[in-house]
Amino acid sequence: MIMNIPGYTGTSGGLSSGGLNLPGYTGQSGGLSGGGLNIPTMGNANISPQLAAATPGSSGGFGQFLTGAGNVLGDIFGGVQQIGSAISPAIPAIAGSLLTKEAYDRLSNVGDTAYQRSMDLAERGQQESQFRPFTVTTPTGSAFTARMGGQPQPPMMTGGPVAPPFTPVLRSGVMPGTVMDAGGAFGSGQGRPSAMPNGGRALSIPLPPTSLPPQFTPVLNQVPMTGTVMDGGGAFGSGQGRPAGMPRFAGSPDSQPAADAMARQYQQPTPQPQDGLEIGMSLSPEEQSMYEGLFGGAGRFFGQAQQPTAGREQEIFNRMRAAQMPEEQRQRLALEERLAAQGRLGTSSAAFGGATPEMLAMATAQEEGRNRAMLGAMQQAQAEQMQQASLGQQFLGSSYLPQQQLLAALQPGLTQQQMAQQAQQFGTGLFGETALSGIEAQLLAEQARANLLGGVGSNILAGMFTPQTNKVTGATTPAAGIGDLGGLFGGVSEGLGTIIRGIGGIFD
Amino acid sequence: MAQELQSINLVAPAFKGINTEDSPLAQDPSFAEIADNAVIDKRGRIAARKGHTVITTNNTVLGTDSLRAIKDYRDNAGNTKLFSVGNNKIISGTTTLVDETPASYTINANDWKIVNFNDHLFFFQRGFEPLVYSQHTGAVEKMSVHAHSSGVASTMYGHEVLAAYGRLWTADFSTDKSTIYWSDLLDGVAWSGGSSGNIDISKVWPDGYDEIVSLAAHNDLLIIFGKHSIVVYAGATSPASMTLSDTIAGIGCVNRDTVQYTGTDVLFLAHTGLKSFGRTIQEKSMPISSLSGNITKDLIAALQNETEFFRSVYSPEEGFYLLTFTGQDMTYCFDVRGTLENGSYRVTRWPSTGFTSFTTLTDGTLYIGTSNGISTHTGYTDNNVSYRFKYYSPSLTFGDSSRIKILKKLKPTLVGANNATVFMKWSYDFDTTYATAEFTVGTQITGFYGESEYTTVEFTGGQLTNQRSLNTTGYGTSVQVGLESEINGSSLSLQEINVMALIGKLL
Repeated sequence: MIMNIPGYTGTSGGLSSGGLNLPGYTGQSGGLSGGGLNIPTMGNANISPQLAAATPGSSGGFGQFLTGAGNVLGDIFGGVQQIGSAISPAIPAIAGSLLTKEAYDRLSNVGDTAYQRSMDLAERGQQESQFRPFTVTTPTGSAFTARMGGQPQPPMMTGGPVAPPFTPVLRSGVMPGTVMDAGGAFGSGQGRPSAMPNGGRALSIPLPPTSLPPQFTPVLNQVPMTGTVMDGGGAFGSGQGRPAGMPRFAGSPDSQPAADAMARQYQQPTPQPQDGLEIGMSLSPEEQSMYEGLFGGAGRFFGQAQQPTAGREQEIFNRMRAAQMPEEQRQRLALEERLAAQGRLGTSSAAFGGATPEMLAMATAQEEGRNRAMLGAMQQAQAEQMQQASLGQQFLGSSYLPQQQLLAALQPGLTQQQMAQQAQQFGTGLFGETALSGIEAQLLAEQARANLLGGVGSNILAGMFTPQTNKVTGATTPAAGIGDLGGLFGGVSEGLGTIIRGIGGIFD
Repeated sequence: MAQELQSINLVAPAFKGINTEDSPLAQDPSFAEIADNAVIDKRGRIAARKGHTVITTNNTVLGTDSLRAIKDYRDNAGNTKLFSVGNNKIISGTTTLVDETPASYTINANDWKIVNFNDHLFFFQRGFEPLVYSQHTGAVEKMSVHAHSSGVASTMYGHEVLAAYGRLWTADFSTDKSTIYWSDLLDGVAWSGGSSGNIDISKVWPDGYDEIVSLAAHNDLLIIFGKHSIVVYAGATSPASMTLSDTIAGIGCVNRDTVQYTGTDVLFLAHTGLKSFGRTIQEKSMPISSLSGNITKDLIAALQNETEFFRSVYSPEEGFYLLTFTGQDMTYCFDVRGTLENGSYRVTRWPSTGFTSFTTLTDGTLYIGTSNGISTHTGYTDNNVSYRFKYYSPSLTFGDSSRIKILKKLKPTLVGANNATVFMKWSYDFDTTYATAEFTVGTQITGFYGESEYTTVEFTGGQLTNQRSLNTTGYGTSVQVGLESEINGSSLSLQEINVMALIGKLL
């Protein structure tokens, strides 16, 4: 019977002819042939070579050695011999136990190794998949920057006029721009400058630092985007909360509270996040100027739209009346002249409201005109209010147009960044999977080896308690049983006592 | 050598009434220097006027005062009641005067104007709340307490009232002389609401300022008489829309009670005499003709001397317009049947009649108010008292003022004058001392042949004509002939006077 043990690479041995081939055993001879245990080299097995080299049933070696060493060690070796004599019957049990222990230890080591390797791999993957800051700059000078706290400030974050580092290289029809990470722009293939490394970043994941950044892990998962949306001059806001750099609206004082309210509405927490994702947008001075003008105009329009219409109605009414008054005055004078010519200036008739029919008609007409003017003023004021609101809305929307265009321009950059991110993540994942496969294979091998050792040990132990029957002869050898172990321990202890005595004789 | 008598026939003497304006020498003999208690009769002769007969038997409420105004109430149902005012009372009745003054209503003036309007009789006098009488109330009451009255305020206590164009119009207030109020349509007691109203014409006066004296309605015109000007509004049927039609400066109305309607004209007394609006259809203008051109100075003098009331009446039946100066007890009678060449009416005088008010009834009866009560214009005595008819011709020169005229005979031809004593008078050269020849007209009761058995009506031929021939004396270059007679129950008409004279040498 040949017993194949995983990991055993020897070319002979095994259990043929009663030999035992052990995993890791690479020796060319030895083994258990002849009833002895010949383990020249056992690799990681914790069997001393001396033990392995021991020749069962033969004490010549020891005697020569003891003779050569002197009688001093005679007792010791005698003891050892005695132990050996004692051990000889218990060798199978010892070997089985040792192998079992070896298998146990190996399994423990496999788990630890797998855990350690996995953590290393996770750290490395985490670092490899870490967000890479980038900046998108439009030809008009606005820029979008995203970075994590603590990461170096990418270019274009100053808010000033930033010249694109290179000519827009995206495909025609696509918002030209540049997507840059901290180390360079994310390339897009054809448009990548020659000086730029391929891909902008190497997909090969650099080795992770030995220790993870302590601030990394919780930020993305626990803080929901605590960045600040910034314009070129700083955060939005005015009034009390308005940053110093933000001009007040040039509109009437009444419109300023609305602008302040709007600024407060759009104002984000000003503290700069240190650990989270920082997103920054900056506009060119021209865009900033336009933004401020439009935003201020929106504030003015909204402010005007929020004002009560009564005053405006009165103002419009007064204007309309001012336009109507001259003609009314002329008509009144004409009527007065007619009435005077007719001798009717002093006419008062109860049927006509204390006046003449003509005066009543004129008064009625003028009142109607006045009423129409009043209603017209109301409608005009309301229309103007709507117009102000609409203009404010338009101005407000237009004021965000640079930002919208920046965001629109960001989209291709984000695509590129996402492609890079996907490649990065893919590489990281591939690496992790590959590495994990190796670890897993190694783990399986170690498990197999441990299982093999454990199985050998178990078999050996099982053989001690199993009577051996020769199928040819039919002779049955009784199991050594516990008696052999007792003899083993008695012989060993006796041998140890002899050794100790021999050692003691050395010092005697 | 004896000269032939020249006969100067004064046919229908005073046919043209009194003329005191022209020079006597140049006057037409048809004028009269004096024509007292005379009228122009139906045949164009000067005749004695009618007297009046008092029909009032009990004038206790009148006391010693005279009736200052008379008006008959007449409603649509035919109810009539005669009202008059005097002795600070509102009086009703004809035979027995009854005090109709509302209780707790004090009157201290009698210058009322009374008008009929829409079954109501309205009394207006400046400073007094208007009074109203209607058949359904049966009594005179203050306007403010009259049913459905409104807007009655002291501001509309006018002195002049006019019922025209479906409204009452009032003006001439104590403190407002330029405003005219009109009532609601057909409601003389509603002075607010509806279509009532007012007009202030203070800016309309052509002379800048005037005071409303009287109102008149004529031909869809509202004629507003000021003291010195007249304003005419057209379209008064819609007073809120009426327009100024004409203004006349320099001519006004002296007193509201001198305004009378003659059907074709409106007569009124101006400061320069009696005037009228002559209506012309074609020209739509208002030519003003002087109707008293022959007695202008006399009339102006009477105006200036008048201290009481002016009263007037127009009687189409009698064909005259009477204008009485009550303070002077002088009545001028204007014959409205025709005008003379100068556009004047023929005018006579009725002195000392005692007339203080007039009214004409719808049947043509002329009621005259006196201190005795109400009289009718009938008979030829003034309440059984005779009155003297006078006629004096202008000074006659017989065509040659340079020669002496020696009157020889006067041959008057009289009609009527039963048993009247007639005094023929003459004088020369403007002497006011007249020579007189008296004669008595016989009984003028008509009968056949003068026999009693034939003195039956069936044989009479109307009034008898009496012609006498009176010898005269004296001479002069101009001769004035007169005739006087006491009118005591019989009419008298002067048909003609035939003057027989010798034309003497040149002076």
